[in-house]
Amino acid sequence: MNPFNRYLKTIWQIFKKDIRVEWRGRQGIPVMLVFALLIVFLFNFALQLSPDLQAELAAGLLWVALAFASTLGLNRSIASERENNALDGLLLAPVDRSAIFFGKSLSNFVFTFLVALILLPVFSVFYNQNMLNLRLIFIILLGLGSYTSLGTLLAVLSIQTRARDVLLPVLLFPLALPILIAAVESSRLVLGSHPVSDYQSWLFLLIAGNILFIGVGLLFFETILEE
Amino acid sequence: MINKPKLLTVFDILTALTLLGALALILFWTPVEITMGPVQKVFYFHVSAAWAGMLAFVAAGAAGAGYLITRKLHWDWVSLSAVEVGLVFGLIAILSGMIWAQPIWNTWWVWEPRLTTTAIMELIYLAYFILRSSLETPEKRARLSAVFAIISVITVPLTFFSIRLFRTIHPVVIAPGGGDSAFSMTPCMLRAFLISLGVFTILLVDLFWHRYRLAKLNYKNQTGEN
Repeated sequence: MNPFNRYLKTIWQIFKKDIRVEWRGRQGIPVMLVFALLIVFLFNFALQLSPDLQAELAAGLLWVALAFASTLGLNRSIASERENNALDGLLLAPVDRSAIFFGKSLSNFVFTFLVALILLPVFSVFYNQNMLNLRLIFIILLGLGSYTSLGTLLAVLSIQTRARDVLLPVLLFPLALPILIAAVESSRLVLGSHPVSDYQSWLFLLIAGNILFIGVGLLFFETILEE
Repeated sequence: MINKPKLLTVFDILTALTLLGALALILFWTPVEITMGPVQKVFYFHVSAAWAGMLAFVAAGAAGAGYLITRKLHWDWVSLSAVEVGLVFGLIAILSGMIWAQPIWNTWWVWEPRLTTTAIMELIYLAYFILRSSLETPEKRARLSAVFAIISVITVPLTFFSIRLFRTIHPVVIAPGGGDSAFSMTPCMLRAFLISLGVFTILLVDLFWHRYRLAKLNYKNQTGEN
């Protein structure tokens, strides 16, 4: 088997393992989903939204809900590797460590993306507008891609500290802010049926975020985990 | 015990004198701006503080890279000292900006690109301290903080760019010209401004030097080395 295929296979194996864990334990996606819905309700009461304001704010609320909820999933995904020293086992495996990063990022990304897909019809009902929009889904893909790759890296970083998973949101939110701004703005413009030229600079920013944070993950994942 | 280096004492005096000199220059020598009045004079130290803070954060990121390459703990002290001093300068920039904004924009706070970026930068580096405080072994603390300092310094321009884009697409309610484009500077103002920048850079180096010595002494104290 050539090295590239072996690398891909490593990523796939880690991804498959995470899916199996999720399928048997169901500790990630349901928790994220319920939490995201709770945020929607909290915001509704906290902000006293009038119906026309709601439509305008739906994109922002979707991203806030996703950003908050995904920290739970990210923490869970990394914390579960610490139980029974599973992480040590992973690190002992004779594979490239960046493949581990990719595998974990991939599963985090897929789980969060699934939560987003389930949220879209719910938001459509709550905010009385069709949010099952292919362009919006594409933006969610880009936004969550960079958000979860940075999130995976920082979750691994925060799990190493004494504060453990409490630290993740504090580290992640300010650093991920440009991604969230770009995601919220482009989603809002898509939902307002604006032409692509209105939000293409946001899309470029999201693509740049993906390249940057995946690169950062590749560069630092091993440094963070060395003992 | 390490004695305070003579050069540092000299540098302290130099810093104090130039700071007083710049203050006198701004108060008595620069003209009062016609539309804004005396409050415009905040601008000299405001921009200088923001500049010094920026410089410190870039230095912290560079020192982080220095640590990861060499694995020498003194790079960690450099990084820590730079972040701490940078945080203070960032805070000075924000507070002085608010003092200026209250009469000019008629509000203490505007969600304007530079202001917002500076505030987020402060939050990022506050997180840096929370991260540090929950790590005990010096090597591990140095390693993880270095990674965080580097990622931070990479994302700050991205944040600035995104907020700027955010505001240029949006209609602008209050002209976010900021200090330098809202009025044109006379040569005299420009000179005082450049001097302030220089003076704050000296102040930055001086404070940084003190903080670095403190970090070093602290380490020696804890490990019992001489």
